[in-house]
Amino acid sequence: MQDAGPRFWPAARRPVIAGLGMTELGKVYGRTPAQFAAEAVRLAAADAGLQLAEIDGLLTSSGVSGGISIDLQRDLGLTDLRLLSHLQAYGSTAGAMVQFASMAVQSGMARAVACVFADSPLKPERRAGAVYGTRRTPAGWWGMLGASGVVGANPMYALAARRHMERYGTTSEQFGHIAVAQRGWAARNPAAQLRSPITLSDHQESRWIVEPFHLLDCCLVSNGGIAVIVTTADRAADLAQPPVSVLGWAQSHPGRYLRRNPELGLVTGAAAAGPAALGMAGVSLTDVDVAELYDCYTFTVLVTLEDYGFCAKGEGGPFVASGVLGPDGKLPLNTGGGQLSGYYMWGMTPLSEAVIQARGQGGERQAAAHDVVLVSGNGGVLDHHSTLVLGSAAAAA
Amino acid sequence: MTVGPVERDEATAEFFDGTAAGQFLLRRCPAGHFGEPAVAQCTTCGSMDLAWVPAAGGATLISWVVSYSRSVGDEPPLRTVLVIGELDEGPWWWAQLVGDDHDADAAGLVAGLRLRVDFRRAGDEFEAVPVFVRA
Repeated sequence: MQDAGPRFWPAARRPVIAGLGMTELGKVYGRTPAQFAAEAVRLAAADAGLQLAEIDGLLTSSGVSGGISIDLQRDLGLTDLRLLSHLQAYGSTAGAMVQFASMAVQSGMARAVACVFADSPLKPERRAGAVYGTRRTPAGWWGMLGASGVVGANPMYALAARRHMERYGTTSEQFGHIAVAQRGWAARNPAAQLRSPITLSDHQESRWIVEPFHLLDCCLVSNGGIAVIVTTADRAADLAQPPVSVLGWAQSHPGRYLRRNPELGLVTGAAAAGPAALGMAGVSLTDVDVAELYDCYTFTVLVTLEDYGFCAKGEGGPFVASGVLGPDGKLPLNTGGGQLSGYYMWGMTPLSEAVIQARGQGGERQAAAHDVVLVSGNGGVLDHHSTLVLGSAAAAA
Repeated sequence: MTVGPVERDEATAEFFDGTAAGQFLLRRCPAGHFGEPAVAQCTTCGSMDLAWVPAAGGATLISWVVSYSRSVGDEPPLRTVLVIGELDEGPWWWAQLVGDDHDADAAGLVAGLRLRVDFRRAGDEFEAVPVFVRA
C-alpha cells in the first residue's frame, strides 16, 4: 500500500502547500472575521507568488464568532471557481481542509485551492474567557448541561484530563512542563502573543480556571486569520516558496460525545489517525523531525503524544517532564509557542507553524532537521481529529 | 443559585416531565440496553424502538473538577464541583455535584464514590435540572 501514497504520485497530481498567509494575530480589533479571512487569502497568494485570479478553489471555515461563508468568494472577487465550500469540524477543520484540497488537486478538479480560517471573538471591552462560555442559549439538552454548571470547553476538557491523572498518575506539574516549554519557543517567535519566559512555579501559581487546569494550562483567544494554498508539485515548482509536500493524512471521529465512553481522556482519535497518516506518507514516527500538535490545553498535547506513539500510553507525564521538550530538548514540539503562548487560530495554529518549519523559515526557532513534520488537529472534546504529515522540499526530492 | 435557568424544547419535553416528577428518565430498547436521555437510537444495538424508563437514581463517580468563577472585587471566586457520574444502568451524565463543602476543595473525591441523582431548579418558572449528591 505504501507505494500508492502521495509521495509516489506524479508531480501534476502531488499536493503541496505553496502559500501561507497570516494576518496580524491577537488583540487586533476593528475587523470582521470575513475581513481577516479575505486578507489572509490575499497574503497567502502573494506569499506563493500567485495572482489572486489563479486561485480556482476556496475552502472557508470559521471559529466561535462565525461570520465567514462561501460569500468570501465575492469579497475576494474570485470568479469561475471550480471548488467552493464551507467546512466545520471544529479544531480538526484546518487539517481537514488541506486534506480535501489535496484530493481536489490530485483529481484535477482544481489547481490552486485556498483554505482559510479566521475569527474575531475578542472585543476591546470583553474578557477573553467570556467569549467561549456564552454562546449557548439555555434550552434543551445544551441548556441543561450549562444550567447544571458544565459551561464551555474548560470543564469538559478538565473532566477528561482528570481521568488521565487518576488512571496514570499524571500530575499538574507535568502539564506545566508543556506550558513552560512552549513559552520557551514563543520567546523566539515574533508573532507569538505571550513571549515572556515562565517557570513551573508560575504555572503552578497561576489561578485555577477549572481545577486541575490552571490559567497557564489553557490556550489563548485571538483575533485574526490564516490561509494556506494547496496546489500541485509541478505548479509549485514555478512559485515563490519552497513547496511543502502533503505526504499523508487521516481523520478520526470517535463519536461518543457526552455518552458513556470508557476511553474519555485516555485515548483520542489521534490513536487511529496518526498511524493511518504516517502509513499513507510511508514514514514511521522515528522519521518525524518536528511535531506541531493542537494544544487547546496542555493536556491535549500530552494525550496526543501518547496516541501518536511518542511514548507509551500512560507515560505522557514522565515523558513531557523528562526534558525532551522546549528549545533545548530533542523533540521540537509546538515550536511557535502553539495555542498556549503563540496565537489561537484553531487548527491553523499548528498548521501554519508546520509550514514555516518545513520551509526552514523559522528563524531563531527553526528546527535543525525539518524534513518530516507531523501536524494534529483536535475538535470537540477530543471528539474530532485530523492528522497531516508534511514534508520539506528536500524530503520530496 | 445552584443551577441556572433552562427551558424545555421539543427534544427534551419528556425528559423534563420526568425531572418535574423527580425522575431521571433514560432510553431503553427492547433488548434491555440503556442509553443516555438524548440518544435517538440504542448505542448498543441500534434499535430505534426506545422507551423512556426512570433510572433507579444510583451512580458512581467517574471524573470530577472544581470550576472557579472570576473573582468580583474582594469576593473569593465561587467554586462549583462538576462531575461525570455513571448511572447504575450504565449511561454517563455530566452535571454538578451539590451539597459538598467546597471550601474543602474536592478532597475525598475519588473514582468509584457512590452518588445519587437529585434535582434543582433556578426558579419556579424553569425546568428541574438533574444534579448529583453524595449517596
